[in-house]
Amino acid sequence: MTLPGTGATTLEHQATGRTDPDAVDATLAATGDAHAFERLYRGHLARISSLVRRMLGDEDPDDVIQDVFVRAWQKLGTFRGESAFGTWLHRLAVNVILGRRETLGIRRQRHLDGDAALETVPSRRTTPEISMDFETAMERLPDGARQVFVLHDVEGYRHEEIAEMLGLATGTSKSQLHRARMALRRHLER
Amino acid sequence: MSDQWTDRLSEYLDDELPPDERSALEQHLRHCAACGAVLADLKRIVTRARGLEDRPPERDLWPGIAARIGAGSGETRAIDLAAARGRRRWSFSLPQLIAAGIALMAASGGAAWLLHPAAQSSVAVRDTIPTTPVVAGGNLSARNAGDRSRIAGQSYAAAVADLERVLTQGRGRLDTTTVRVIERNLATIDSAIAQARRALAADSANVYLNSHLAETMQRKLDLLRQAAALVSSVS
Repeated sequence: MTLPGTGATTLEHQATGRTDPDAVDATLAATGDAHAFERLYRGHLARISSLVRRMLGDEDPDDVIQDVFVRAWQKLGTFRGESAFGTWLHRLAVNVILGRRETLGIRRQRHLDGDAALETVPSRRTTPEISMDFETAMERLPDGARQVFVLHDVEGYRHEEIAEMLGLATGTSKSQLHRARMALRRHLER
Repeated sequence: MSDQWTDRLSEYLDDELPPDERSALEQHLRHCAACGAVLADLKRIVTRARGLEDRPPERDLWPGIAARIGAGSGETRAIDLAAARGRRRWSFSLPQLIAAGIALMAASGGAAWLLHPAAQSSVAVRDTIPTTPVVAGGNLSARNAGDRSRIAGQSYAAAVADLERVLTQGRGRLDTTTVRVIERNLATIDSAIAQARRALAADSANVYLNSHLAETMQRKLDLLRQAAALVSSVS
């Protein structure tokens, strides 16, 4: 078995009296316990899967989801329990997703202007699955606007954090977010 | 519709406008119905975005991840079991073999053993099931295997019940987040066990399914043992 880094993670509950199952499992996983890592995988899979799917749009997300968890396994030694494991994993996932996009050279339309963004959003479907319809509309946003929208409105990152992650000016992050919202508004109006 | 304030509505909504601009925009909103309508729509969009539900992928990606990290994956286990199955001369099924392994684990130490992880490493727990074909491959008759399977099921259920009782009695000592995580994970595992059993009902000789069921049952024991240890640590 290929072991991740060991020894750096601490059992937070031992030091503080708090009980955090994820921290325990992260510690076990960092010593090579694949069962503990599988528990972490299953506990966080839905959130990571949704993040990948929303950030990547219509591309096949499965490979990237696997990449996220393999990278997490390799990097477990750097998790020190200073934040929740889910927060650490989420940030790692964002980095993997963005790296994947750069590798594939698909940072197209990052700074697409607002009018073009509006044109790419599909019209409302008649399906009663409103939230799924909303997800579909998100998928059709231009890459840049979609990434900012997902990170800010869905995932709750601040513009300063998004700007750092995406290599943008904060003002650009704000304008991309507004364009994405306005594009989705037009979609909802149809 | 668009005016000088339209492009500032998101910043207003996110409370990111400087005080003077915020005040000016609020003045504008008092008499601009169009901007008010856009703002209401933007609020709806933000609310909807925050309320999106997460969902897992359509297929389980764990086997691929396990293979890539070099863990003892179900695939590897299935190959081993398939080889063992090809060599075997006895006539009982893999579920019986697996159940017998669980019985040995449960009966050899029982819940008390499971409740004291310090006395037994998790590796030792995990290693019980892989030895199953060897242990069960002795001189067991099919009838004995059937008896052992029944006993194994009873022992497994008893061990799980003991651990669940510890967790129930001690849950008040754990914080609510921890309890919620444990219960969610248990529900996930129970669902996986139920799915594996349903699949085995249609294909009882499937090596992968048998291995997957055994591993999932083992995971439930591991999780319960860990939860019991947490209860013990805060007592």
